[in-house]
Amino acid sequence: MNRARRMPVKLLMQLSWRNIWRHRRRNAILLSAIAIAVTGVTLLNMMMRGMQQDMMNTAIENLTGHVKILAPGYRDDPGIERGFEVVEGWQTALPGGVQGWAKRIRVPAVVMSERETRGIQLLGVDPVRESISFLGDATVDGERLAGPGDSRLLVGGLLTEALDTAPGRRLVLVTQGADGRTREAGFRIAGVYRAEIAGLEKAFVFTGLEALQQLLGTDKITEISIRLDHEDLEAPTIAGLTGSVENLDVLSWRELEPQAASMVEISDMAIYILFVIVMGALVFGLVNTLVTAVMERLRELGMLRAIGMRPRVVVAQVVVESSIIMAIGVATGLMLAAAMFAFVADGIDLTAFDDSLASFGMRPTFVPVFDIRDVVLVVVLSLALSVLASFYPARRAVKIKPLDALRR
Amino acid sequence: MVVECRDVSRTYDDDAVPVHALRGVDFQLAAGEWVSLAGPSGSGKSTLLHVIGGLDQPTTGSVVVDGVEVTALSAAQLSDLRLDKIGFVFQSYNLIPVLSALENVEFILQLQGVDRAERRSRSREALHSLGLSDLENRRPGEMSGGQQQRVAIARAIVTEPVLLLADEPSANLDTSTTRELLEVLQSLNRERGVTILTATHDPMVMGYTTRQVNLRDGNVVGDNA
Ligand SMILES: Nc1ncnc2c1ncn2[C@@H]1O[C@H](COP(=O)(O)OP(=O)(O)OP(=O)(O)O)[C@@H](O)[C@H]1O
Ligand SMILES: [Mg+2]
Repeated sequence: MNRARRMPVKLLMQLSWRNIWRHRRRNAILLSAIAIAVTGVTLLNMMMRGMQQDMMNTAIENLTGHVKILAPGYRDDPGIERGFEVVEGWQTALPGGVQGWAKRIRVPAVVMSERETRGIQLLGVDPVRESISFLGDATVDGERLAGPGDSRLLVGGLLTEALDTAPGRRLVLVTQGADGRTREAGFRIAGVYRAEIAGLEKAFVFTGLEALQQLLGTDKITEISIRLDHEDLEAPTIAGLTGSVENLDVLSWRELEPQAASMVEISDMAIYILFVIVMGALVFGLVNTLVTAVMERLRELGMLRAIGMRPRVVVAQVVVESSIIMAIGVATGLMLAAAMFAFVADGIDLTAFDDSLASFGMRPTFVPVFDIRDVVLVVVLSLALSVLASFYPARRAVKIKPLDALRR
Repeated sequence: MVVECRDVSRTYDDDAVPVHALRGVDFQLAAGEWVSLAGPSGSGKSTLLHVIGGLDQPTTGSVVVDGVEVTALSAAQLSDLRLDKIGFVFQSYNLIPVLSALENVEFILQLQGVDRAERRSRSREALHSLGLSDLENRRPGEMSGGQQQRVAIARAIVTEPVLLLADEPSANLDTSTTRELLEVLQSLNRERGVTILTATHDPMVMGYTTRQVNLRDGNVVGDNA
């Protein structure tokens, strides 16, 4: 009689399933609550992940890239005197998964039209390589830059308005050359670009990289921006580069855009806090329902134990019962969320809130992002919670002696 | 001997005044007997039944069931003792409401880990021997009290226990249903040799049993075959 007994799993499933049906109204309510909560949490997660992705992309496309190579000190005091040269073949140090990279010169400059003067950042770029930044997708009135040798300008729309100028007209740029002396030269406007984040249009003026090097009297560049296929490749890329480009800073976008990076972290936290609150509320509901269910069945459970059902089998039965309800609720919730996700997967137009969103570094439309890790988190945590939550009522059921339970 | 109780006492002292439910009971039950515990209310019939069935532990004394000293067993071992060696029929609320008659009987074999085919045939046979073949798919709520008690007996004997314990099995039944039930128990006892211990006030039961033990105030005051 001491022979080891296996858990009668099938029996537990059968009993649990029947008991769930016995109280279908109560369990349907509980199940709906779980499903709705899971749907809500999942959809909110997707939206928040979308916003997060958007903030990240904006930060990265804002001429930052995932990783950037700079000369030490450039960030505090940008200028061509902090320029550098890289040896041929530096890019062999890059691991796989690089979407593209771009060499640039970025120097502070003053731009003048006949009417107005503005401080800007002047960028010398190779237009083909800028597919990695916002410039690649930007719409342009007039012409784009033809190549690194193009000495015309690409000016943002807002700046063009402020300077009261137009494509084809000329602007004068004043900046400091490599020798420390001031350079002043006239440039023709090739085109006017439009950026999704309006602020960029006022800040950046582009010209050809080689043309700018010529103006400044240098062969150097001030930055290399690297765009990766995925954020997770950042660490290996930085590690790979740090050894090979000596005396230069290899920085992640998080260091270059700390504000955006902390927004991303905060939204991560918000996702988890939201999740804990919703799931916590659900667990209270679940425990409450289970305590009621166990108390109602106390005589029955007492009888089961009297005829020889071991206490841990009784506990397992209650745990299985709550896990089934939770599993069905979570599955329903996820399916609802998936169905609703299909409606918004193409993006949500938030043009109405454009101004306030822009201040968070977000675009007027954003696309919800489905992250399998969030779904796994929802599934694993909710099932773990339902097991933990059902232990308490189940323990109550077996703490009382079978005879006392039968006597009630 | 299927049961040997020696100097068994059971005192409830949860309340201010301790209650002596059993005061040094000596009691033996041989295989094949059907013994009925009789006595006024509060005389200790149920308590003795529970102590023998491993549902309650005596305060002092020794209880040996089928050669096993029950007082030395752990909770899990007592569970197994009840599952393997004893069949229980309670006064009421015997069955699992969400399971059919057949499933209720199968249930206990499932707990024992008996495989499906054997479970089915043994359960059907037990139901058949109690004249319940037509009702195997009914749930308890769809059966009369007498039918439910018979299903409970089927479940109690399907494991072929060494001892069948029944505490006031007829308390909720009318006279004719009680008679049917007693006849069922009698045939189990006579034809299958099932050892039975019942506790009851019901004088009708006495006519069927092989022996009657009288209790009063927790003592055995009479024992007549
Ligand atoms: N859990 C308990 N706590 C305290 N006292 C109890 C408990 N169970 C039984 N008793 C007391 O023990 C005594 C014997 O009770 P028991 O139930 O064995 O009597 P019985 O002969 O079965 O009575 P009845 O014919 O009414 O069923 C009674 O005085 C009863 O009040
Ligand atoms: Mg009694």
